[in-house]
Amino acid sequence: MTEKRCGRRLIVYEIRNVLGNPFIYMFGIVFPVLMFFLIIKTVQADVPESAISQANTAVFITMTLMIPMAVVLLGYSSNYSQELEKEIPLRMKLFGYPEKSVLLAKIIAQFVVMAAGLVIYTAVAYASVEMETPRVSSALCLILCLFLLSGIYFALAHGVATIFKKFGAAYVVMMTVFFGSMILCGMMGIKVDQLPTFAQKMAALLPMSYISSDFIDFWTEGSYNFAPLIQSFLFTGAVSGIVLLIAVRREYRKITSV
Amino acid sequence: MLVEIRNLQVFYGKFQALEIDRPIRINEGERIGIIGSNGAGKTTLVKTLLGLTTYKGRVETRLKPQDMAAHLQFNHYVSTMSVRHVLETILDTSIKTNQRLRELIEYFEFEECLKKRYKSLSGGQKQRLTIIMVMMQDAPLTFYDEVTSGLDFETRQRLMEKLLQWYEGKSNTLCIVSHYYEELELLADHLLILDQGRVIDYGRKQELFQKYCGESIITLDANAENERLTASYRKLAAPAHLIALACREQAEEEELAGLLIRNNINFKRSSSDIEIMSVNAKAAYAKEHESGVSVND
Repeated sequence: MTEKRCGRRLIVYEIRNVLGNPFIYMFGIVFPVLMFFLIIKTVQADVPESAISQANTAVFITMTLMIPMAVVLLGYSSNYSQELEKEIPLRMKLFGYPEKSVLLAKIIAQFVVMAAGLVIYTAVAYASVEMETPRVSSALCLILCLFLLSGIYFALAHGVATIFKKFGAAYVVMMTVFFGSMILCGMMGIKVDQLPTFAQKMAALLPMSYISSDFIDFWTEGSYNFAPLIQSFLFTGAVSGIVLLIAVRREYRKITSV
Repeated sequence: MLVEIRNLQVFYGKFQALEIDRPIRINEGERIGIIGSNGAGKTTLVKTLLGLTTYKGRVETRLKPQDMAAHLQFNHYVSTMSVRHVLETILDTSIKTNQRLRELIEYFEFEECLKKRYKSLSGGQKQRLTIIMVMMQDAPLTFYDEVTSGLDFETRQRLMEKLLQWYEGKSNTLCIVSHYYEELELLADHLLILDQGRVIDYGRKQELFQKYCGESIITLDANAENERLTASYRKLAAPAHLIALACREQAEEEELAGLLIRNNINFKRSSSDIEIMSVNAKAAYAKEHESGVSVND
């Protein structure tokens, strides 16, 4: 038997695996669309007719953040923790799939499903309400940020699932992170600048709050100072990296503890 | 020689799960039955040979991890996935184009299960799924860890028959962990007896039987009448509900059988009873450790 690699078949299998999780449909597609329509209804009442298109777009940008959070952060952690509970990764290893091949297939699958969710959400949003058309560079910037966030979420979800190895514990942690981030980053209808000072300081550490509040400013025109956003990406990336490192080291110590 | 184990020690934290202090050699084509009660170290040994634990000592083999296949005690797959996709992905092949896989599916009467999701399979079907995938690996060294546990008698019998037929005449080395002695009587030619993480004995099944039981044994129900009738014969250690009598030669066996027949007493004769043999091997090991004389000397 030869060592198996990450190929088309394994990637399709992992996509099926992601789609087998009902959380993905609920929190990754239905929930952002529902929240989008709910929040624009409230916002529209407070803005003049001429600003509706811009207000809708601002809500649209904010709600896109929910998709990688639901698919990768919540969905992957719940899926992978259940797999670890049942020792499925060990089974794959014994059938000749090295961990790196499986992980690569899982990352690709998460990105594919996240992208599909994003396409569906965008299509529904742009087909239903009046929205501003972005500059190509602005749209690409948002897409890049969403994929970067997905990568960071993947590392965090993988680390948390590996540390707890139980669906229940990993789910509680991730749900807390999910709803905590939604509240802090303006996804629950409260803007970042409306939050108490301590919460605003916490929000400043998260890239989602910059995307949520600032991206509308350069969506169609204008410039933007990316420095705080990059710093927040570095911060969340470092936190996720540390969690992943702790998980990997714990696993290593467990195997080598003689 | 396929695998040689020397001075092996496996710890889980501070708990010593396994200690093999005498060399164990596994040769090509051998069928090794690994027996012992719960906590004996059977699964730890399998995991160690598969490279899934860290150990002290030496496990020498020319095999790479991918040359080994394993049916573990618990074999789970993604529950929402269809069985067809589990099979095709794990084996990295297509059922349509893989003749050998189709034959195995047919051999195990598994066609109907392909459409189902993994979570909808019964216990026996789940076992068959892993067995098919393990057999498809056609590895030089294959482990079956309690492959029939949790299955009803009939399913267990059918599965063992299939395994037996499949490996007949093949050169794969098998390590079979089982609590069912009758399965090992059918499948194994060597036995490794473990108890509380230690090796009680290892060798050819027949040689071990002769070492601990003699040429043959006769077992009958343990009751006062049977105890009185067989008082003058050499008794072996046996489970509480049985009397096990050792026969050194055919004449002794015939004499004993005649006595039991004349007294209308039901009995069972065997020259390969693994249960009685392992009970006596453990008893001899315990005695050896009391007296300090090795049964393996």
